Amino acid sequence: MADHSTIDDTRYVGQAVRTIEGRAPIVGAARYTNDFVFPGQLYAHIVRSPHAAARIRRIDTSGALKVSGVVRVLDGAEAAAHIKPITHYIDPAVFGGKSAEVRVMAVDEVWCYGQPVAVVVAEDKRTARFAAQRIQIVYDVLEPVLDAEAATAPDARIVVPGWDSNIMMQAPFRNGDPDAAFAKAAHVVKTSVDIHRFSTQPIETRCYNAVWEHDIEGVTLYATAQNPHPLRHVLSEVLGMPESKIRVHAPVIGGAFGMKMHGHPEEALMCLLAKLTGRPVKWTETREECLLIGAREQRHHMELALDADGVILGLRDRYFANVGAPSACPGWGMAFLTGLTMPGPYAVRDIDVQMTVVITNKPSWNAARGYGKESTALALELAIEDAARQLGMDAAEIRLKNFIRAEQFPYNSPTGLVYDSGDYSGAVLKAMHAIGYEGWKARQAEGPKDGKYIGIGVAFELTPEGGALPGTMVAGYDSSSVRVAPDGSVRILTGVTTPGTGNPTGIAQIVADELGVTMDAIEVTQGDTTTCPYGFGNYSGRSTIVGGGSAALAAQQVRAKVVTVAAALFDVPEADVELHRGVFSVKGQQGRTLTFKEVCYAAYTGAYSVAHGITLPLEATATFKPSNIRHTPDENGRINPYPSYSNAAYVTVCEVDVETGKTKVLAFAAAHDCGRVINPVLVEGQACGAISFGVGGAMFEAIAFDSSGRQLTRSFMDYVMPRSEDLPAVKMVHHDSPNPVTYMGLKGAGEAGVGGSAAAVVNAINNALIPLGVSLNTLPLSAPNVWGAIQAARKRGQREAAE
Amino acid sequence: MMDDLLVQSVLVQWRVNGKLHEIEAMPGMSLLDAVREQLGLTGTHMGCQTGHCGACTVMLDGRIVKSCLTQAATLPRAEIVTIEGLKRADGTLNPVQQAFWDEAGFQCGYCAPGMLLSAMELLAEHPDPTDAQIDTGLAGNLCRCTGYRSLVRAVKAAAAKMRETS
Amino acid sequence: MSLYPSFARPNSLAQASELLAGLSGGSVIIAGGQEIMPHINHGAMQPDIYIDIGGLKELRGISEADGVVSIGALTVHRELQGNAIVAEKLPMLADAASRAGGGRQVHNRATLGGNLVAMHPLYDIAPALLALGAEVELVKAGETRRTSLAALMHETSHGLGSEAILVRVLVPAMAAGTGWAYEKLKLSGGAYGSANAAATVQLDAGRITAATLTIGAVADRIIDAAAAVQGLIGQAWTAAAAEQLELRCPALVKQPLSDQQGSGEWRQAMAGVVARRAMAAAVARAGQK
Ligand SMILES: Cc1cc2nc3c(=O)[nH]c(=O)nc-3n(C[C@H](O)[C@H](O)[C@H](O)COP(=O)(O)OP(=O)(O)OC[C@H]3O[C@@H](n4cnc5c(N)ncnc54)[C@H](O)[C@@H]3O)c2cc1C
Repeated sequence: MADHSTIDDTRYVGQAVRTIEGRAPIVGAARYTNDFVFPGQLYAHIVRSPHAAARIRRIDTSGALKVSGVVRVLDGAEAAAHIKPITHYIDPAVFGGKSAEVRVMAVDEVWCYGQPVAVVVAEDKRTARFAAQRIQIVYDVLEPVLDAEAATAPDARIVVPGWDSNIMMQAPFRNGDPDAAFAKAAHVVKTSVDIHRFSTQPIETRCYNAVWEHDIEGVTLYATAQNPHPLRHVLSEVLGMPESKIRVHAPVIGGAFGMKMHGHPEEALMCLLAKLTGRPVKWTETREECLLIGAREQRHHMELALDADGVILGLRDRYFANVGAPSACPGWGMAFLTGLTMPGPYAVRDIDVQMTVVITNKPSWNAARGYGKESTALALELAIEDAARQLGMDAAEIRLKNFIRAEQFPYNSPTGLVYDSGDYSGAVLKAMHAIGYEGWKARQAEGPKDGKYIGIGVAFELTPEGGALPGTMVAGYDSSSVRVAPDGSVRILTGVTTPGTGNPTGIAQIVADELGVTMDAIEVTQGDTTTCPYGFGNYSGRSTIVGGGSAALAAQQVRAKVVTVAAALFDVPEADVELHRGVFSVKGQQGRTLTFKEVCYAAYTGAYSVAHGITLPLEATATFKPSNIRHTPDENGRINPYPSYSNAAYVTVCEVDVETGKTKVLAFAAAHDCGRVINPVLVEGQACGAISFGVGGAMFEAIAFDSSGRQLTRSFMDYVMPRSEDLPAVKMVHHDSPNPVTYMGLKGAGEAGVGGSAAAVVNAINNALIPLGVSLNTLPLSAPNVWGAIQAARKRGQREAAE
Repeated sequence: MMDDLLVQSVLVQWRVNGKLHEIEAMPGMSLLDAVREQLGLTGTHMGCQTGHCGACTVMLDGRIVKSCLTQAATLPRAEIVTIEGLKRADGTLNPVQQAFWDEAGFQCGYCAPGMLLSAMELLAEHPDPTDAQIDTGLAGNLCRCTGYRSLVRAVKAAAAKMRETS
Repeated sequence: MSLYPSFARPNSLAQASELLAGLSGGSVIIAGGQEIMPHINHGAMQPDIYIDIGGLKELRGISEADGVVSIGALTVHRELQGNAIVAEKLPMLADAASRAGGGRQVHNRATLGGNLVAMHPLYDIAPALLALGAEVELVKAGETRRTSLAALMHETSHGLGSEAILVRVLVPAMAAGTGWAYEKLKLSGGAYGSANAAATVQLDAGRITAATLTIGAVADRIIDAAAAVQGLIGQAWTAAAAEQLELRCPALVKQPLSDQQGSGEWRQAMAGVVARRAMAAAVARAGQK
């Protein structure tokens, strides 16, 4: 393992080097999935259910087949005759839940608005769409089940035929003696936190282009896929075809944020259509379709037991996740992670958390940045804020009092996680300092100006990253190959993928240092199951931890080989050979140098001379497997599925216009602990991106439905995401405590921040409105909602005054 | 007799990134589809098809537009610059492109057409833009990766560089 | 509804008008395309015939004569923002145009005519033009007629967009010293308006002698709040007057919109808030001269 103290200017690691993959997009040369067109290309258009719940009585496709240019029409029943149900990314049954059979298109019954019902394949996309309108479907509309808690009522209609209830999974996260903690508490604070449905919405929508390979009777799927190898496995099961005949190629991805993790019906469906037509078939998701992918709709009923000084003695939470209709995507697992991450950064031992995952007739979730840990942060941070207010304590102070202390790491959490390292108090203090906490407090004390109330919000987020769930393709390890050609150029092939976060550059920085070459000698290949080593792709902030870690190990092996050859060429002991940025030299002997290229060529051509001691070619493949993931259950049956526990403190200042309820974010500071920083610009980019998700989610992004379960949010006119003017400058400070078990102390930086920043905004708004007696924990805190809460508080005040 | 005016397709003549093209535009087809599918210039991206995201931005007769909202057949003659045409004649990056790369303006790069072209049009009018002018200048574009801070930084860096050299 | 629509690009207003008159239904006028292309892209709108009016010179240009500013229907938002005549004579229109969403790209293509014909309750141009007392010139089947924009917005069979062409908008130049303000409340930077108000005011020795006020985005039609400003005439703009105005406006919103731009209850209340703010800013500006 590298020595942390050696990071300096002579190394790329730690520096803000320009991204190697960054040039292609700015000249329009990056090729995203939708940019590929193959000879004989066909286009698919999917017919989706206009109802939330219905029985399909009849599908008549004859009208579509009459349209010239239509090649094939398929409905759900016919598709089901060809292929199996979609394999679950994370099968709920593995975790004690119920597993529904999910088909690529509805068979007999539709479970949600927007569910695929039929598909048309045509010579061009306009014809496909035109013909799709000529498919006639007769539905018997059923009463939709839309609210999670109502869905658990005994008389609720059961969404999945054959199930005994709509509860897909219920699980306790319990430790200690919570009842005793509540019994001895000086204060019990109850807070309901209602997190609404909001979505990741990358600017590139999904796209799949399946090419039938006639020579091998196999298929190549060009896909916006975060996890090409595991997707290949799913396709092989669904299509009934060996993995060796399937190639998944994920080209450049235009943002993913979890949404491009697989289990989507269109993946296998396009492969099937390519097989049936013998031609390439492409489907490009519209924004309207993309907006169907939900996440995070979850209601928490929190209770905190506190002593007289504000020390949290116990925590209870009953939460209900409305994961929508059954899906093979890993979205539902977010709800599980919410509970597993309780009680976050707080040193509470006595907890009683119960998760209820509920199936409804809303469109399904898929994974979304934060993967449930953002909801943990929201629930905890809003509840703590409430407690601070009820106890008359400062919001920061109550956190500092309850954090796990720096000297307590590694820390065994009450749900079984083993937090590697951290200094939570230090991070909060740093963030408060960065924003100028005291100055803002003073300004707040001056009182509102022109009806504008200032509030300061503090929040913390613990984000376990690099996860590994037993029995699933969520693996904790990954592998990389480093290949050096005779000309000394270097190709890294890695099992991790990039959704655009810059991880290829981070990995290249690591390899350049470990191997001893310059950055410009390196190319990185990702996302192709035929060329890259088996890997699990991108999720859970893992890509630099395991991608970088494995590439470093491979680079070390290749370096050993070239050093052996150089030693032979110099005729000196290996220990005397130095290699830095592509130049070999001999210790203590000025002027004796060889270029990397010279040595590589000598190696390839000197198998029986200078290179006889090494295994050619100059290649190595290595795996990085964090040692602290534990899948063997402890005495309480708990596992530790995460190697790394990134964490961050967020402080924001918001100004609420009480006449309109509208909030302006004035300032934001974050103190982020992602372990060792490979490239500060990349880390900062991740943090600012997450803050943008948090701000949008806290205040205006929302997916709405009408009472019949039809989704109302169908375009960016209604799904409004932050623009430049909505976001303040972010003061970003690093507060790194290296992870003792990962390569160079990496922790992961991609996922953290959505919940912490959202919670900071909510807390700031509520903090601003303390003088008005407002406390609003139903998200989003949009202008109308905040205004409504202010009106309600006023009326309450008037009523009380009258009594 | 007026029916003579009605045609099934329009033969349009466009100079695209300096090169003359004559293509058959089917009524209803967007400039986005024409550029991507007929001219094969895939640097211009589809993001929403409702004009909100800006990923499909091109320059049309010297002004930036959203190609998904522009119907190809309505442009019998036009001068079009796409992201592929932004490089300098000698193949090097223009100062705005260079600044976006140097400053790590983008992450996934999907929004690049809108951001780069908006920045260029903004800087042509406001060589030293204020933060508010940058926000307005980029208002037609969504970025989901960066939280915009790096984009704003890149626009400022480009502005400084362009002022220095002009 | 056809997969292979046809297309025409007439080059004079007369030709366009004759063409439209001879066509049966199913034809759609296209100008900048900013409004209709989203629907076409998604197949929600599939016209049989497109009539591209981009070649009609009669629909271009901005000029002033006899205290009336004439603005061609093809004028894009960008020109409204930057044109010298508009800036001097109709600054509120320039401001409203600059507040429209979509960014520079949309402002470069979105036409005045298209914005008005869309009659979208959330849009910004109409409230400003209504507060300025604009008139419009239309051509249908070779016949030209002029009517007030206010009246047009209540017509149900004007045929604009399929049979009739909006040629120009005629707006009385704002009198020197007129105070004005366009107030727009939206949920976030990228959102459409939730409540908009356009106000003009004239003061004499601190008293209001004339005022107009329109409120948009709160109901399916733009509200002429003349009734609410009536009481201000002859008065000074005091805190009490402001409060009165704020209270009166919500009552004018009979059926508030309730959508993702905000609930009906809030929109109704906000009608009062934006109205008061617009009027206050207009008064402040009038004071400055
Ligand atoms: C992302 C986005 C955000 C927007 N935000 C706002 C906003 O905040 N505020 C706002 O005010 N507007 C907003 N707009 C609307 C925009 O201003 C209008 O779409 C635009 O002005 C329409 O003009 P056009 O020429 O492009 O219309 P087109 O799409 O060409 O036509 C629109 C309609 O008008 C008809 N038409 C056009 N011109 C004529 C004419 N001369 N005579 C008869 N019929 C005609 C057409 O038949 C069609 O029915 C936004 C638009 C977009 C794309």
